[in-house]
Amino acid sequence: MIVRTEEILFEFDGETYNGFAGESIAAALLRVGVTHLRDAPNSQTPRGMFCVMGVCQECVVEINQRRVEACRTKVSNGLKIKRASNV
Amino acid sequence: MYDVIVIGAGPAGATAALETSYGGLKTLLIDEQLEAGGQVWRARSKSIINAPKNNYSIAGDDLRSRVGAGLVNILFGVRVWQIEKANDHWTLGIQGCEEKQVKAKKLVIATGAQERVIPVPGWTLPGVFGLAGATALFKEHMIIPGRRTIVAGNGPLLFYVASEVLRLGGQVSAVVSLNSRKDWLGVLPGMLRNPSLIIQGLSWMFSLYKNRVPIYWQHAVKSIAGKSSVEGANICAVDKNWSLISQGEQYIKGESVCYGQGLMPAIEATRLAGADHHFDEKLGGWVPTLDKYGRTSVSGLYACGDNAGILGADAAPHRGGLTANAIFEDTGMSNRVDINQKAYDASIKFGLAATKLSIPRAGYESFISAETEVCRCEGISRAEIDYEIKNGSLSPDAIKSGTRCGMGPCGGRFCNESVSILTEYLTGKNRKEIGITSARPPLRPVCMDSVSNELNYNDLPIPGVSPL
Amino acid sequence: MTCTFDIAVIGGGIMGCGAALQLAGGGMNTVILEQGDIGGGASGVNAGTLSMQIKRVKLMPYAIKGHAEWESMGSSVGFKKTGGYTLAFNDREAELLNERMNMKREAGANITFIEPSKLENIEPHLTKKIVAASYCPDDGFANSSLTGQYYRNRIEEAGIHFFERYKVTGIRSTSEGYEINSGGETISARRILLACGGWMKTIAAMLGADLPIRARVNTVSVTERAPKFINSVIGHATGLLTMKQKDNGTLLIGGGWQGKGKPEDGRGNVSIDSLIPNLQLAQFVVPELSKIRIIRSWTGFESNVPDFYPLAGKLPNNDNVFILGCVRGGYTIGPYISKLMGDYILDKELELPLFDPSRKMEEGKLI
Repeated sequence: MIVRTEEILFEFDGETYNGFAGESIAAALLRVGVTHLRDAPNSQTPRGMFCVMGVCQECVVEINQRRVEACRTKVSNGLKIKRASNV
Repeated sequence: MYDVIVIGAGPAGATAALETSYGGLKTLLIDEQLEAGGQVWRARSKSIINAPKNNYSIAGDDLRSRVGAGLVNILFGVRVWQIEKANDHWTLGIQGCEEKQVKAKKLVIATGAQERVIPVPGWTLPGVFGLAGATALFKEHMIIPGRRTIVAGNGPLLFYVASEVLRLGGQVSAVVSLNSRKDWLGVLPGMLRNPSLIIQGLSWMFSLYKNRVPIYWQHAVKSIAGKSSVEGANICAVDKNWSLISQGEQYIKGESVCYGQGLMPAIEATRLAGADHHFDEKLGGWVPTLDKYGRTSVSGLYACGDNAGILGADAAPHRGGLTANAIFEDTGMSNRVDINQKAYDASIKFGLAATKLSIPRAGYESFISAETEVCRCEGISRAEIDYEIKNGSLSPDAIKSGTRCGMGPCGGRFCNESVSILTEYLTGKNRKEIGITSARPPLRPVCMDSVSNELNYNDLPIPGVSPL
Repeated sequence: MTCTFDIAVIGGGIMGCGAALQLAGGGMNTVILEQGDIGGGASGVNAGTLSMQIKRVKLMPYAIKGHAEWESMGSSVGFKKTGGYTLAFNDREAELLNERMNMKREAGANITFIEPSKLENIEPHLTKKIVAASYCPDDGFANSSLTGQYYRNRIEEAGIHFFERYKVTGIRSTSEGYEINSGGETISARRILLACGGWMKTIAAMLGADLPIRARVNTVSVTERAPKFINSVIGHATGLLTMKQKDNGTLLIGGGWQGKGKPEDGRGNVSIDSLIPNLQLAQFVVPELSKIRIIRSWTGFESNVPDFYPLAGKLPNNDNVFILGCVRGGYTIGPYISKLMGDYILDKELELPLFDPSRKMEEGKLI
């Protein structure tokens, strides 16, 4: 019933995953069962997408040394993403 | 210089922008999302080529086609990070496009709502989503939050989220509702003002019934369990004040928890713009002080939509229309948008009834155990906040200074409410007396190079500042 | 409130609390009246820089003493002695740096000059465009956010009465001294010490004094947690940048860029026109900052008088009203000069002289 775009490949913390062009990083990772996107700076506890609208900053990941919100950043073919720490 | 800038392209803001454009005012509509619709009418991601339509997608697509018709100028995928008033105009710092600043004579703030989420042990685990956050997953991505989902909190969103999980092929382990059946009976008269939404609500309930989803009325999530992601939740009954009753705990398995206690007006933009605000629990908490058209206490500044008080998506277009009328009047124009007062009144009654289910109660304090992280960004526990309050810090700013609670990247968007709840509990002061933290830019974290161009060192303005 | 205090201190920042502690220690029944939170004004929102290199020559002895006070407060105020570098990027700035730092060294500050090439090993993330640099090993910072918590604890321990959210709306002279009103409430005291920073002019006017006080609106910003970029406090020859990185990785960026607003209208506001060059300069000095996010910017009021020296003494023509403020570098100097002020009111011998508010003030020269 739901028709999606062609699949693309992206990298998260060294692993390669399938995603659909145009969806957010957080959604693509959730679909493949990856929810742990970041380690909290003080407690080092795992964090993931929470508010899903760019407010809470919990889903922040790193791309080219920049911190971006995984819920608002699109995946694209070949994109290399790192799990964020100390943010 | 625009005549009007509207921040927020949900049903309220987009309506206001469309109407002022139709009226001939040069209008700019800004939204951080890539398309109009706001949260309730959120657009599907570009990764979805085709999918069945529903009420929200149809209403949203209609709005998007009007916005896309080209009369109103748009900047989507763009964030406003700073709002400043000069004598006769507003300057906005923006990020995400070529321009760094835009200016307008009138500014409309339609930034919608944000979720209230009361901390419980385990609420920081991956797999815990805000209830409204979960709806964004459904609407934008048409995916489920996890294989089995526990849906917990209050208000009508619970049943919408549970039925959407089922519709998208997931399982719902349980619906855990703080509200009792009696709470719902109490708001039914107001809700009946919108029969179509009542019918929708019944269809949600029917799908839960059909799938044998257990509904725990007057229950709360006491803690969320899991190591690196959610594995389940402990639930227990609550009393009338929503204080946890510890006997008879149950453990429910699930890989995700959708969890939230209603919506609050997203007021950071109106606060940064300098408008007066007051506390009104019926409208979801702190709201800008407005006349019925949405004029704030600051001339040239208007607010409409849920950020002006939680009344929901049905009331929003009416509120946007009223604000457009205020702008027409204030610019000496005779244009007026026709407001269907009867429909607007009905939507207000419905909105107030729905919001009433989420008015906070004193028992929230019992959810937050001493070790629970209240400030997710900085990892500040309730025990630390309690200590600071007992040590004499009474204002939200003082507590923030002393503990770092609210100093992280989210800027206190989630912990401010909890800090006020704890202050209320420990001091007996009411929310108005407690107040709110000072408004400070940026409205969202902004990358340094996205707000400024590279410095040509010789252009650096050197004001005389430093006496020997 | 029926009791009459020996002295009411208006303003619960570093100046007011510091003086109150000294006064209470000297036996005076003291009350502090604060319009907001203790330590919530400039004392609690400034950039926390404790730098000899940005202190005025004439105030250097006070800054050295003040620095020692901060060091003794230690971790409870987040004190860190990191050393600090002041940088120049063109010949004009290098000349300025040379001239000024030499004078400050003569005034007692432990300042030396360092070859920019040597700085590359010490602070490798700084730009390579540095022309000249000076160094002071005593420089460092404290966490101004903790000012309120620290002084609240101290004044409570000392048994000093204090009222927060006590916004003074009127002062009446009586045979006993003064009645200080806030809305419907009244507090009586024999003497008054005005230590209310940016709000000094307004309160002094209630006592019939017209002081030539102006308020600057200084901007400070903080970044998200970043990789370790800098180890020491970084300054700019013109004073237009201060930068430090906390243990948690966040960087605090200041430099006295001017926001908007007046003390009488509440808190000041950040101005985009001054914030942007402030951030541009920070990125110029540490280029890797460009990828880092700013998470908060704010302002604080810094009051001054035309000659940019402190007001510390008796209010003109008034034996029972004292004034303490307009100290450039007040965060560093405050804990010390407030003690002096307390001693002055207690009629004790002073270690260093104060600054008579009745003096003739000539307009100070700005660079």
